[in-house]
Amino acid sequence: MITYAYYPGCVAQESGKELDNATKFIAGKLGINLIPMPEASCCGGGVIDGFDKNLKLFINGRTLALAEKEGLDIMTICNTCTLTLSEVNEELINNPESLEKTNEYLAKIGLRYTGKVKVKHILYAVRDDIGFDKLKEKAVKSLKGIKIAPFYGCHILRPSSAVKFDDVENPQGFEELIKALGGEPVSYARRTKCCGFQTILVNESTSTSLAGNAIYEAQEKNADVMVTPCPLCHLSLDTYQTVAAKNINKKLSLPILHLPQLIGIALGADYAEMGFSRHNVSLRGLMAKVRQNDI
Amino acid sequence: MEFKVRAYRFNPETDEKPYYKEYTVEDYPGMTVLNALIKIKSELDGTLSFRRSCRSAICGSCAMKINGITKLACKTQVSLEIDKFGIINVEPLANMPVIRDLIVDQEVFFDKIKAIKPYLLGQREDAAHNIFKTLKEGEKISQPVYDKSEFKNLTGNEDTPNCILCECCYSECGGVVGNKDYLGPAALAKLYRYVEDPRDIDKNGSRLVNGSMPNGFWDCVHCQSCEQFCPKGISPVKSIVKLHEKSIKNSITFSSGSKHVVSIARSIGETGRLDEIKVAFESGGVTGLLNDLPVAFGAGLKGKIPPLRLKLIKDMEDIRLAYKELDLEDKL
Repeated sequence: MITYAYYPGCVAQESGKELDNATKFIAGKLGINLIPMPEASCCGGGVIDGFDKNLKLFINGRTLALAEKEGLDIMTICNTCTLTLSEVNEELINNPESLEKTNEYLAKIGLRYTGKVKVKHILYAVRDDIGFDKLKEKAVKSLKGIKIAPFYGCHILRPSSAVKFDDVENPQGFEELIKALGGEPVSYARRTKCCGFQTILVNESTSTSLAGNAIYEAQEKNADVMVTPCPLCHLSLDTYQTVAAKNINKKLSLPILHLPQLIGIALGADYAEMGFSRHNVSLRGLMAKVRQNDI
Repeated sequence: MEFKVRAYRFNPETDEKPYYKEYTVEDYPGMTVLNALIKIKSELDGTLSFRRSCRSAICGSCAMKINGITKLACKTQVSLEIDKFGIINVEPLANMPVIRDLIVDQEVFFDKIKAIKPYLLGQREDAAHNIFKTLKEGEKISQPVYDKSEFKNLTGNEDTPNCILCECCYSECGGVVGNKDYLGPAALAKLYRYVEDPRDIDKNGSRLVNGSMPNGFWDCVHCQSCEQFCPKGISPVKSIVKLHEKSIKNSITFSSGSKHVVSIARSIGETGRLDEIKVAFESGGVTGLLNDLPVAFGAGLKGKIPPLRLKLIKDMEDIRLAYKELDLEDKL
């Protein structure tokens, strides 16, 4: 059994609860022990350095120090949390001045950080620490015949100076996972592009045109479903899909899964366990296809 | 070793629509994509059009999409691309109209550079500054913009003044893809360079005010592509974030982008968490809320509603102390 300090991020504990539930479901099946971090704060949503760079260091340095105190690496399920924690980790490891300043603050709350924690997104935790072979062993449903469009999003890949899981120009981790589950990865240009979420409350038109065009391209490649490793991308792609369709003037109707839900389906979870009723675009068609695929 | 180059071709005078043409080229050790294109043009097809000049990654002319990613052709090794993709697929830069083959119309890009006023504003009033004097032996003129440690720290030793205007960042920018009027990373990084320049006399903060307008620095989608794909190691997105920080510190917070960031900071300062409902309301105000009502209503029907009142994180006083230590309480 492998143990992580579990950092779900804010959205998975608020509007995206189905992601948190799906993660806990697959962790149980795959033998991943998730230790909750009730003291951990929000990472700052990818924009907190626009308010104050040191605040980003302090609050995320605190989260890293909390995990280090327990001797654990952190597992994330959100791209933006992954990037923010990874950026701060890199800064604290490589910049003694930043580390000293952060540790002065941490000392006042009884913590200290030395740079030992690794931040891993669940996609790459499953690939590197569980292994796709074990995933195959545990699967009870095959995703055979299902065309799955992986949508990486930005912050799990870029900048590669901070997040170093995959080849930033031609990532394959997601496709390998889909193949391991028996599915057929759909190849499309926008798989590594931006969903636009960071400006969804600032410039909705920019934001939804990015999400809409990614969905449209995957649809044109006959995808049955799109999967994302990030709850922020999920909001853009699923919750705002109707707005995106209007904005780009195209018919869109592509179900969007959180990555742990895709794994959950293969591990035998049912519709209710994965919280599919909370999605904007229905997953009933997809689940009907999967139901016939017993291993 | 032979390899294939698949080139985007389009001559608006003769072609109805763009097409791709394949060429077979013989490799040699150290061959760059630009070497390959020059070989095609001189030996196989003189009609293939592309910009090039220095061949040393300093003029920025040969920027193009190579296997889907914007790069300088002169800085890209054929062997590495072939190992990864098995082919050299070349296409013109994105986000700009094509003039012919791999050549794009750069006018819109340079209009945006001009829009940020890429020159020092105002006149220094101290008389001593305006007196010309001969330097004594060994005396050096200090270049203040390079002396600022904050500027140097942006991306290690590389910094914004090293931009060669190659348009790689502009071609990869998610913000421009979504909004063709967005100023884009190169212009905004240049804006930051002037905002930080102590010789710039911008008495009323016009640079930050103008940059906060629609299509300015709050429209960045944070996709990180500009930093990732800059061939000179510059990080425009970090410059953009510095512009955000500087605007908020100077209370230039009229834009919904700045309200959004302040709201997130406030929410973390109050609960340790990001309050989705409050942030949505505070970012867009009543108009934003009304605009988002159908989405919120639809999500609500599915039970996808964040809690109305968030539970504080454990040891919330730690977070409050961070704000206090950094003297941020009055900025919320």
